[in-house]
Amino acid sequence: MNNAILSATGLVKTFLSGDRRLEVLRGVDLEITAGESISIRGESGSGKSTLLHLLAGLDAPDVGTLTWEAASDTTAARRAMFLGVVFQSFYLIPELDALQNVLMARRIVGSIGSPERTRARELLARVGLAERSHHLPAHLSGGERQRVAVARALMNQPRLVLADEPTGNLDEHTGNAVIDLLLGLCRETGTTLVLVTHNAAHAAKCTRQLLLRDGRLA
Amino acid sequence: MPWYLYLAFKQLFPTGRRFPFFTAISVVSVMLGVALLVVVLGVMGGFGYQIREMITDTEGEIQIKARGLISDYRNVVKRVEAVPGVAGATPYAAGMLMVQYQNKPAFPQMRGLDMTSIARVVPLGRFVRLGSLDDLDDDAVILSGGLADALGARLGATVDIYTPLMLAKKDGGIILPRTARVVGILEIGHQQLDSSTLYCTLRLAQDLYGLDRDVHGINVRLQPGAREDEVATRLNAVLPPEVRAFSWRDSFADFLWVLQLEKNMMMFVLLFVVLVAAFLTMSLLLVLVLKKTREIGLLGALGASRRQIALCFCLQGVGVGVVGTGLGLALGFTVLHFRNELVRAITHLTGGQELLARFYQFSELPSHTETRDLVLIIVAALLLSTLAGIVPAVLAARLKPAEALRSE
Repeated sequence: MNNAILSATGLVKTFLSGDRRLEVLRGVDLEITAGESISIRGESGSGKSTLLHLLAGLDAPDVGTLTWEAASDTTAARRAMFLGVVFQSFYLIPELDALQNVLMARRIVGSIGSPERTRARELLARVGLAERSHHLPAHLSGGERQRVAVARALMNQPRLVLADEPTGNLDEHTGNAVIDLLLGLCRETGTTLVLVTHNAAHAAKCTRQLLLRDGRLA
Repeated sequence: MPWYLYLAFKQLFPTGRRFPFFTAISVVSVMLGVALLVVVLGVMGGFGYQIREMITDTEGEIQIKARGLISDYRNVVKRVEAVPGVAGATPYAAGMLMVQYQNKPAFPQMRGLDMTSIARVVPLGRFVRLGSLDDLDDDAVILSGGLADALGARLGATVDIYTPLMLAKKDGGIILPRTARVVGILEIGHQQLDSSTLYCTLRLAQDLYGLDRDVHGINVRLQPGAREDEVATRLNAVLPPEVRAFSWRDSFADFLWVLQLEKNMMMFVLLFVVLVAAFLTMSLLLVLVLKKTREIGLLGALGASRRQIALCFCLQGVGVGVVGTGLGLALGFTVLHFRNELVRAITHLTGGQELLARFYQFSELPSHTETRDLVLIIVAALLLSTLAGIVPAVLAARLKPAEALRSE
């Protein structure tokens, strides 16, 4: 497919647990087209997070190939500009306020100037946290923290956002709001989204639904 | 500002939060180690500096001595004063005496001064507490404060003076002492000199020791900025072979070596305090790395390289070193500034201030910090703190982002 922004072929990942070999992924093939939103569902321990880590280039597969925009370069420097990540546990840096947490995504790839600060403020405003930009994570609710994490993921205008159970630590109402926000922002900006979730309702909001079972995508 | 420097700074000194426990403990430990080094090396340096001042104040920067006596000293002084860098020269005679006042004996060191040239070399007038140096003639003496107290002699008293020469001359007959009136009491501030020294004219000293017109030595004062070793070399080039010039460093080389050795040993021992502080910083940084494992994973997910993550933690060690060293220097110099008040307060509580002065030779606790020592302290503290940050930094850099994010 010509406009595939991510292509994974035959991904295999095995973990050793004591004497046992745990084959979590047994040959995952996935091709993601620009602009689509994909949900990946699966039971606990089915390997959803492992797959996401492989797609994000955070871990290397035992077997298989991964390309981003047809290039096999998945180094940290390229990752910073190519994709944004949202995790279940938010992972905000506690010493930095909301604005600085969003800006951290940009700091890692370059310097911060007035345009970057303006963009970070706009993103915080877009996720409804304009008034809370100078609050530390400890002073934000779970939903607010996750919205900061969404803004951070979009800071570098990535081609792809990978979200690993972003509502796992939120109540249903807040979780729905975060998913709607994430989908809405990705749609607005033309960003591709891969959403790993347990929640069938959240998965149904994506343009393509996949199921991870027995180490393979279906 | 690179992100790793920014984040290291923010993790050490977060905005709007209290000083973090980790930072406080690490900084305080480095601060105490540095302050201790500054205080101890300052005081040790002060002893050396005070001794240098005492030697040069009372004997000039260069001493000229001969194997025996220096005869024709006027000619030698003239040749010495013609050498570039020399401000003045004065001859002296010195030796042990017995002094008696109202049947109280004492055995001071005698110092015979040439009253026409002494002021060009030794500022003795500065140290006269009672009486006047101008009243010193061939029938008068000036006593150090401790000697006057020991004898019970006051200004105007007449003391009897005996020399070893008298014992040899009389050959069993009655020994008649030389009498002299006390025209001054002098205190230099060095306990050893102040406890038992008698100052008289050169002529009186020559008479007492039967020197005729000879002297024991010549003290030389240098012009400001002149280097004693260079001038001593120049002097030796113009002096007769039996007469040699020694800088004060040469004359007291053994003593100065011991003093330097003591100082170096102190520095070596006290550096272990900074080393312990560095280990404390390292262990606290290791705890921080474990605590922030998932954040390290996140930084990797955001595109941070391993080298940058390592720098972020290493710079925290550097930050602790910089702040701890800065505060340690401030604390150390503050303690040095108020050292005498502190010593007085401690000796007031424990007693024994006089004993302290007698034992350490000085009436006040001296202090002198050499630039070399200061640079050494700063470099050592910063180096050890940086090394303390390296182990946690390597540990943090070795974490794989995916494993770090999975960690519980």
